[in-house]
Amino acid sequence: MKHFQRLITLHLLTASLFVLCNSAFFAHAASAPRSQRIVSLAPSVTETLFALGFGNRVVGVTTYCDYPAEARKLPKIGGFMNPSLEAVAAKRPDFVIGVSSATDPVKAREMERLGLKVTLISLASVNDILSSIKSIARLLGSPEAGEKLVDKISLQFDEIKKRVASAPRRTTLLAVGLRPLVVVGGKNFINELIFLAGGENIAGNADQPWLNLPDEYVVAKAPQVIIEAGMGSERGDSAKHWGDLKSIPAVREHRVYAYQSDKILRPGPRIGEGLEEIARLVHPECFAEAKRGVNKGKGCEGPRP
Amino acid sequence: MNPAIQTRDLSFAYQDRLVLHAVSLSVDRGEMIGILGPNGSGKTTMLKIFSAVLHGQGAVKINDRDIETYGRRDLSKLFAVVAQESRMNFPYTVAEVVLMGRASYHSAFALEGKKDLEIARASMELTDCLLFANRYLHELSGGEKQRVMIARALAQEPEILLLDEPSAFLDLKHQVQVFELLRRLNRDRGLTIVAALHDLNLASLFFPRLVVLRDGKIYRDGSPKEVLTEKTIEEVYGIRVRIEQDPFSEKPQLFICPSL
Amino acid sequence: MKVLDRRKMIFVNGVLLALLTLSMVACTLLGPVHLDLSRALRDLSFANPDAEILFRARLPRVLLGVAIGGGMAACGVVLQALLGNPLACPQMLGVSGGASLGGILGLILFPNWLLPIAGGLLGEISWVPLAAFLGALCSMTLVYRFSLFHGRLHPYHLLLSGVIFNSFIAAVIMFLNSIIDFYQAQGLLFWLMGSLSTRAYLTVAFIWAYISFGFLWLWAKGLSLNLITLGEEAAMQLGVETGALQRQIFIASSLMIGAMVSVSGMIGFIGLMIPHVMRLIIGSDHRLLLPASFLAGGIFLCWADTLARVLLAPAELPVGIITAFFGGPFFLFLLYREGRKALTL
Repeated sequence: MKHFQRLITLHLLTASLFVLCNSAFFAHAASAPRSQRIVSLAPSVTETLFALGFGNRVVGVTTYCDYPAEARKLPKIGGFMNPSLEAVAAKRPDFVIGVSSATDPVKAREMERLGLKVTLISLASVNDILSSIKSIARLLGSPEAGEKLVDKISLQFDEIKKRVASAPRRTTLLAVGLRPLVVVGGKNFINELIFLAGGENIAGNADQPWLNLPDEYVVAKAPQVIIEAGMGSERGDSAKHWGDLKSIPAVREHRVYAYQSDKILRPGPRIGEGLEEIARLVHPECFAEAKRGVNKGKGCEGPRP
Repeated sequence: MNPAIQTRDLSFAYQDRLVLHAVSLSVDRGEMIGILGPNGSGKTTMLKIFSAVLHGQGAVKINDRDIETYGRRDLSKLFAVVAQESRMNFPYTVAEVVLMGRASYHSAFALEGKKDLEIARASMELTDCLLFANRYLHELSGGEKQRVMIARALAQEPEILLLDEPSAFLDLKHQVQVFELLRRLNRDRGLTIVAALHDLNLASLFFPRLVVLRDGKIYRDGSPKEVLTEKTIEEVYGIRVRIEQDPFSEKPQLFICPSL
Repeated sequence: MKVLDRRKMIFVNGVLLALLTLSMVACTLLGPVHLDLSRALRDLSFANPDAEILFRARLPRVLLGVAIGGGMAACGVVLQALLGNPLACPQMLGVSGGASLGGILGLILFPNWLLPIAGGLLGEISWVPLAAFLGALCSMTLVYRFSLFHGRLHPYHLLLSGVIFNSFIAAVIMFLNSIIDFYQAQGLLFWLMGSLSTRAYLTVAFIWAYISFGFLWLWAKGLSLNLITLGEEAAMQLGVETGALQRQIFIASSLMIGAMVSVSGMIGFIGLMIPHVMRLIIGSDHRLLLPASFLAGGIFLCWADTLARVLLAPAELPVGIITAFFGGPFFLFLLYREGRKALTL
């Protein structure tokens, strides 16, 4: 009997030891957040981090990071262009991720000098956005998450591309401000979205990503669709603003849309949805549930409306 | 004789510092008066009050009318002032500056007419600056500028000429020229002249009446012989001098007795 | 004796008026976009793009440019006389700073509020330029109060308080710049560097009426302005009520500057440079200098705006950059050639 009892105890001990060791291993993997504290320096980066499933590792965000809802409750480390050095350092992050065209490079260097690991990603084009999603995922040790998210977005893209494939291209103007008139230019990911949505940005030949356009240029280029995506855009205001330029097709045919949307303006993981929003405005007829009764009944493939 | 300028118990204070103290002075039409006194005795202040730039307490009457009842434009046709210094920040020619003296004689909208140009030319001739009529004022020397200012004052066709140390920047030749001109204007045109002076000898030679100010009060008022005594000079200016009568002009002249 | 006479007045103003008319025509026809004039005039009905470019996009800008260029130049002339300082310019009064701040606050807080004119019959205007004008009035009142001593506006105090006011406002604007978002920052640039972009004939008409009235009023004071450059005392002795004149000029030019900046943002350099250029060419008599500077300022801004539209087409540069960029070297060139004989003050 004593021999049997000793065997059981030994087995129990070994088993619990085994379980303990393994759980310690798994626990280590699950509580990786303790050693992967991330500070985000841009709203698009915050969205990417949450979309990749790293939301629980984020310890600091900018005051503009408003999506998803959880991000709003996170501690703030400053603004978009001017993060606070002390606030970032105080979070003791393992990774600091910013955007190369927006984050102040001097601040970034200062952070590196403090021993922080700073990564600046480029979001200048759609390709850049997708590859930076992947590189963030790789950086944080889960490349598969990156691949998955990029695939999801690519699928969204393909879906839209299919929808508008047969529709003739519509000249488009996408403005983010009316007074003064500030529009999307050439080297801008939104320019690419417009193209993918079956539109043609009338300011797309400009080098600058954003530019002031004189009114005469808009009249000369005669866009068929005008989208106002800026802050505080109101439908009434935009119609009045363009109302007297009746030679513009978009004005004549009531295709001036005030549509404020971060999905369009933010170079983050929601650009697939942003693309859909733009496509619905540029080619409403290609979406079965056409809104506002525009071109109801006319097929997506048809002569130029 | 009508008094051109008359003050009674005129006082003036610059921020609690009394500069003029109950000054009562009467200047007749056609008189030529030199105001003497050390710096700070109130000479310049008095001239400024006469030309309505400053306002003191006490009555000031011009041609038997209270000075406050005159408009500035009317005053500028009565008085002309030649200040000690003139500074211009913008390039004007001599002719333009002299013509500014005619401002009160034509409407603000009209340009100067033939008469204005004639008077300006005559004034410049009198003060010997017609040669540089088209030169810029700031190109001229201090003395030349002074003569232009006198020409401008004359262009105003004033009844009364006020001058603040007119010989301050002039060389000897032009000092004498200016004083001789003043005497001629006084004699030929009956211009009333009141000038603040610092050169006592020239004052004695050219001005028939001298008023000495000390600490804002009139110390002496009379002919050069009466006013320029050794005691007066010592009391007012604080230096020892020897006074002798010049045989040619019969006017007293000062000789300084330096201590060294 | 070379002085200002009727012939010179007519000649100079006539030449400048002709140049102005030519410039207006040229600048309406020039632009980053090709304009087919015959097509534009042939069909003046709606929905003719060439007519819209000509009459709705370009012409209001050109008209506004003439008014603002002229107004800024005229204000520069009188301010230089008032302050006795050849370096004085409209920006120094602090009014433009107040207008910019008011406009920026309006842009941040209520960019879409509209005020109906005549019950909506004449259209609506944005509240933003109104906020700018209110800002101008506030800063004008403050600077006035700080510089008024014994009923007289001392040029020294005016200059100082205006400059300090501007510095303070610049700091506030920079603070706002650091808390606004990227899209609002573009609007801020408009206020700091100016733009003539407008399609509203109502605005243009209003500014024209306002500036014309102000300019004519200032022109009437031309002789007094000559006298005031002799110094305050000398001017008084020549018949000018200097106290009243200083107050009136300050208020008139502040109101003009406030209105201009409210509509087009701060377009600098014109008020500083044009008066000097005209002085070098025609002399300092304000009775000619004022209208000549007004016309020259209009010509200059017309062309500057055309360059602003054309230089980096299709993008439009803020016109304040053009006025500084091209105005500066041209002025230095003129100074080198002619200035040595006249400006050795």
